[in-house]
Amino acid sequence: MKKLIGIIFALLSAVFVLPVFATVFLSFYSEGTLTLQEYKDLLFDCFVFYPMFWNSVLYAAAITLAQLVVIIPCAFGFSQAKFKGKGVLFVFYIVLMMMPLQVTILPNYIGLRDMGLINTPWGIILPMIFSPFGVVVMHQYMKNTDTSVIEATRLETSSIFRVIITSVIPQLKVCIFAVVLFVFADCWNMVEQPMLFLTDDSLKTLSVFISNAQSYTGAVLFPAAVIFLMPVLFLYLFFSDSLEKGLTLGELS
Amino acid sequence: MKKAKTKKGFRWNTKCKLCLVPSLLGTLVFFVVPFIRVIYYSLIDNQFKRNFVGLDNYIDTLTNDYFLLALKNSLLLIVICVPIVIILSLAVSLVLSYGIRWVRKTRAAFVLPLVIPTASIVLIWQSVFAQDTSVLPVYLLFIWKNTGICIVLLTAAFTAIDPALFEAARLDGASTFTLHKKITIPIIMPTVFFVSLLTIVNSFKIFKEIYLYYGTNYPPDHSYTLQYYMNNNFLKLDYQSLATSAVLTSILVFGIVMAGMALQRRYRQ
Repeated sequence: MKKLIGIIFALLSAVFVLPVFATVFLSFYSEGTLTLQEYKDLLFDCFVFYPMFWNSVLYAAAITLAQLVVIIPCAFGFSQAKFKGKGVLFVFYIVLMMMPLQVTILPNYIGLRDMGLINTPWGIILPMIFSPFGVVVMHQYMKNTDTSVIEATRLETSSIFRVIITSVIPQLKVCIFAVVLFVFADCWNMVEQPMLFLTDDSLKTLSVFISNAQSYTGAVLFPAAVIFLMPVLFLYLFFSDSLEKGLTLGELS
Repeated sequence: MKKAKTKKGFRWNTKCKLCLVPSLLGTLVFFVVPFIRVIYYSLIDNQFKRNFVGLDNYIDTLTNDYFLLALKNSLLLIVICVPIVIILSLAVSLVLSYGIRWVRKTRAAFVLPLVIPTASIVLIWQSVFAQDTSVLPVYLLFIWKNTGICIVLLTAAFTAIDPALFEAARLDGASTFTLHKKITIPIIMPTVFFVSLLTIVNSFKIFKEIYLYYGTNYPPDHSYTLQYYMNNNFLKLDYQSLATSAVLTSILVFGIVMAGMALQRRYRQ
């Protein structure tokens, strides 16, 4: 019985990772042989690739960092503040988190258009900073943290920022890693926003490049796909342990 | 003395409230206020004349063949794929939590698809399913991508169960079956509700996968989901249809989330 389960799991997990391995394998495979030619084509002849790669890095890093600055105090505020309507407000965040992009993207677009931010990097970065996911996850996580540490720090200082930095962030570490991994991967995977909010090719991201890569010369598609998945893959290898401990989303409200 | 203390408490409460402000402000500027305008757009005839037409746009959308096709496909995806994802992730996380040691190491394989960019992975899908004209590749992509998060959340729920509970029950002579029936199931049920809700909601988010897989704005009929309908109206700059379907979709998702939360609350009582 144990053996059978073992075999089933070996096969099942192989099925799950197979697409990733196949992508990596095919990036080295061309016309029956293993070759680096496709990588050379991409890295030495395809000049649009580099700016798009850096755009992806810039947007994802900027959004992730800015999100932390916004969501950590916000989640802390949610767990500490007492005011009427707090429960309803939090449910609003949950509902907003659940909304598909196609619902939120039109309001985002209208807001950006009115501020003249369409076709600028801000158009990509700003709306994503206020994505509610991190607030919900961190607030859920804070329910299980030790409030006595916060109380103790409050006796020493009246600055809320010092309380957050010295007694909240250390307790949230695992959750922060999980959120960073999630948010970064989410931004890295953005396709619709750069396609709809940006018109200049020089501002677009690697995901857009890959979805149009057929129009570029040579078979650069698979190498580009492999390079594209590397950053999130590394991040995942570093932070995957935090995922399970950091995402305590079971019970809402 | 007491007064000073409450004053300090009051100040602290104000500070805590101020912590919410940046997030609230951003949500207001980029979502709430524009969404009110989206509702307004769904009630007028066009951008220039701006005559109120009541619910005409809603009637148009709800009788539009493409909207209905999209709605049907979106619901079909939920009915077929969500149970598969839930059962698969329940089975996998059960074994990952209680199974043999080396099997637990395979967890990373199931969660990996969660972070792997869709744009990278659709290439394989395109080559493998080049001849396949059915909806199967889309369903497989959805299952592949969404099982991971359910496994993460369910495994966390399983491992959070205090082993002492099992020990105590076992000492009282409970069988393995009663053990799970009386302890495991009630404890993980809220999480099962939540991952079901999450997967249903994620099925509304599958547009990116289908879009990249077909590489066109006009996929085969069976894969034309709600988001396609909206995306195509976005490209046509047809704000009225877009706004109307955005409002309708948001009502649908809102209903699903509220129903899910109500169910969860009811179960706990």
